[in-house]
Amino acid sequence: MRNPANLVGGVGPGQPISLLESVNIHFSYENGYKVFENINISVGQDKFVGIVGPSGIGKSTLLRIMGGFLAPDSGATYLMGKKITKPTPKVVFVHQSIITFPWMTALENVMLSPRSMKVPQSEAEIVAMKALEDVGLQGFEELYPKEMSGGMRQRVAIARALAANPMVLLMDEPFSHLDELTAEGLRQDIYNILFRVDTPLKGVVLVSHNLTEVLELADEIYILNNIPATVVGKLVVDIPRPRSIRNPKFSEYLDILYTKLSPPGGKKNE
Amino acid sequence: MNEDLIIFFSVLATAGRVLGLVLLSIVTGWLLSYGAIKGKIFENIFISISEVFESVPVISFFPVVLILFITRIGGSLGVELAADFLVFTAVVWNIWIAEYQAFKTIPREMVEVGENYRLGFFSILRNIYIPFSIPRIVANLFPSISDGFFYITVSEVFTIGITTYQTFGIGTEMQALISAGNTNGILLAFVFLALVIMIIIYFLRTFSKHAVAKYTVDTDTPVIRRGRFSFKNTTRRISATAATPFTRLSKYYRRRNPSMKNEMFEPERAGVNYSRYILATIGLVILAIILYSSTLLVLSVSAGEWSNLLALTPQIIIGLLYDYSRVAVVIAVTFVISITLGYYLAVNSRAESVGVPLIQVLTAFPAPVYFPFVYIAFYPDFHSVFGPLTSEFFVIALAFISTFYYLFYSFWMGVKAMPSEYQELMKNLNMGFFSKMRRVIIPSTFPYLIAGISSTINSTWGGLMIGEYWPSIYGSRTLEVSNGLMRFIDINTRSGNLGAAAWASFVFGIVVVVFSIFFTRRMMDLARKRYVAEEGVFAA
Ligand SMILES: Nc1ncnc2c1ncn2[C@@H]1O[C@H](COP(=O)(O)OP(=O)(O)OP(=O)(O)O)[C@@H](O)[C@H]1O
Ligand SMILES: [Mg+2]
Repeated sequence: MRNPANLVGGVGPGQPISLLESVNIHFSYENGYKVFENINISVGQDKFVGIVGPSGIGKSTLLRIMGGFLAPDSGATYLMGKKITKPTPKVVFVHQSIITFPWMTALENVMLSPRSMKVPQSEAEIVAMKALEDVGLQGFEELYPKEMSGGMRQRVAIARALAANPMVLLMDEPFSHLDELTAEGLRQDIYNILFRVDTPLKGVVLVSHNLTEVLELADEIYILNNIPATVVGKLVVDIPRPRSIRNPKFSEYLDILYTKLSPPGGKKNE
Repeated sequence: MNEDLIIFFSVLATAGRVLGLVLLSIVTGWLLSYGAIKGKIFENIFISISEVFESVPVISFFPVVLILFITRIGGSLGVELAADFLVFTAVVWNIWIAEYQAFKTIPREMVEVGENYRLGFFSILRNIYIPFSIPRIVANLFPSISDGFFYITVSEVFTIGITTYQTFGIGTEMQALISAGNTNGILLAFVFLALVIMIIIYFLRTFSKHAVAKYTVDTDTPVIRRGRFSFKNTTRRISATAATPFTRLSKYYRRRNPSMKNEMFEPERAGVNYSRYILATIGLVILAIILYSSTLLVLSVSAGEWSNLLALTPQIIIGLLYDYSRVAVVIAVTFVISITLGYYLAVNSRAESVGVPLIQVLTAFPAPVYFPFVYIAFYPDFHSVFGPLTSEFFVIALAFISTFYYLFYSFWMGVKAMPSEYQELMKNLNMGFFSKMRRVIIPSTFPYLIAGISSTINSTWGGLMIGEYWPSIYGSRTLEVSNGLMRFIDINTRSGNLGAAAWASFVFGIVVVVFSIFFTRRMMDLARKRYVAEEGVFAA
């Protein structure tokens, strides 16, 4: 197999000052199913990192570990060099299944995050309104999730994440419930919001099975494969933005991803 | 005039007692369930105790309650607390288990959102856990409130030896009216009680519709109006949303789920978690108190007394056999009526809109309050039919009317929870009534049926307890059967022979728990493995 210069097989620990870094992660679920063996992922300052891998390989699990929701068997995750032992509003997780609370309006849903950081009611409301506006939901503040479409609900969840003013956003298939047209619009919006100067946001991790989407957004892509999963490749995407799928490099990268993503050969160790 | 007011206030006092204790159950249940999901040891103790006490009929607590509250606390406070405790044990287990199940099944992602923003204890309860538990609580409130009202006559007035203890309420008031032969007063009491119960059921139904619209997590019902809970909004919301909100509520009705414990994934946390140790300690202390007091109790009984009690045991067992036969009759009759009527109502929305609220009100209306009048009015007729078995008939009838509801409600909920695709399929295949019942409806409502049957069995004991020995049921008449454990307990309690009554309750409690472990739980496991209809339809 051809191995282009920018496809690095596995990354070691100890690279200087990452924003968010998971080092030597091993993890098994309580039922004994071993999900990861020695995973290393590093998110640099102002980087958009993609993670791809076959379904069920452990992408969601990995984000949970990176956010401190699950403790790895060995290894650790560091935020600016500080070990993460439990979830923190500095690293916010946007779930694969859209999580809004049906008993709260859109505004109340979004206010949950500033309110929990002891921001006073009136100020929290301002923060929440701003976040809703950022995701294009102004005028819909008083709707309940049940009155909204799937795409609107996912935008509420994203607004709630933004309203926490996180340093890192972990996004698990945030666009997979949306139709292609809405998804495309939202992808662009999100990218623009994410790296605006006025936010403390310094990095994004995006899990997606949509390779085009990842190539369109990410600076670096980690490829997970095998059982237990390891990082089988890291791709540095070197296409100028705004990216076009007609760029010949685009299909070259796609080919690499496809090759690396052939289903894992190993048997499940249940 | 003045008397009318007293009757009115006594109804309010009783309703306040029942509702207040339901509220207390709900609030304590939130805290305990939260404790249970945070600490494994506490969880095991809490759940084991709740499950045991839930399967022991409330009535078997009675002697213990009497000893504790009357002798230790005494005075009118002791009597009031005894009444409260009896009602509390009637309503609490159901609600606690419902809340625990809700907390256990809350989606992991929702909890993670709370963790992510580091919500504090009150914030996470108020914003996430409590709202999530509301549909389940509401679904279990109907039977709980009926249960609470059912015991008012026995909890507000009771006799030990020659002393009668009583506390203010319609149960006490009714007895006074009957002995005074005050027909107008009796009638008025009925009217007030019926009104209050109708209002409660109306609020409960309205609130359950609201709960379904607002608090359920599935996403297919749009909420049309928003803002605070107001009746105008709610009715509009209801008419605009689910045609039958109860269909959705039914999914939250308690189906016992003994092996629920592993269902939710609980992340292991790095670092020391002190609350876990605190909870474990609390759980162990509760356990120690129970062990300690039972040891004290055992030691306080003299050897002679023990041999007396043991000598009574064969009699107790025979009484128990009699009572189980009565229970079997009640269940058989209830089963047939429930599945026919329940099915008819569940598929016939016009009949349902009248029938179900009617049954809910009738059930919450405590049978022991009106039964004496039924007894006296129909005794001659039934005597000519049943002859020497007339008392037997009335006792079983009382047990039936006081428990019929549980199986009916459960089954009706089960039919409502059936995927609508099943209905369409049955129509499509043009299945006959028996074929539908045997092949589709009974299997797919099986978990609900088992839950209903087990509640029905538990509350049948309550009916038997009241009916098997009921002195001066009306004037100087006494309703009694010749043999039965409940009669044994009744008579011994009344004659002040509390040791014998407590011993009989204890033997009874053990039999019931064994029955629940070997029968009810097995059936529930079977039901969960094979008959969960919701999984038969593949839908995301
Ligand atoms: N709570 C759990 N207990 C045990 N095993 C689990 C648990 N959650 C997930 N798994 C298993 O871990 C593996 C990884 O799951 P994960 O959800 O992380 O996959 P994924 O890559 O996100 O999949 P998808 O692309 O479908 O979202 C799967 O094989 C899954 O069966
Ligand atoms: Mg996933």
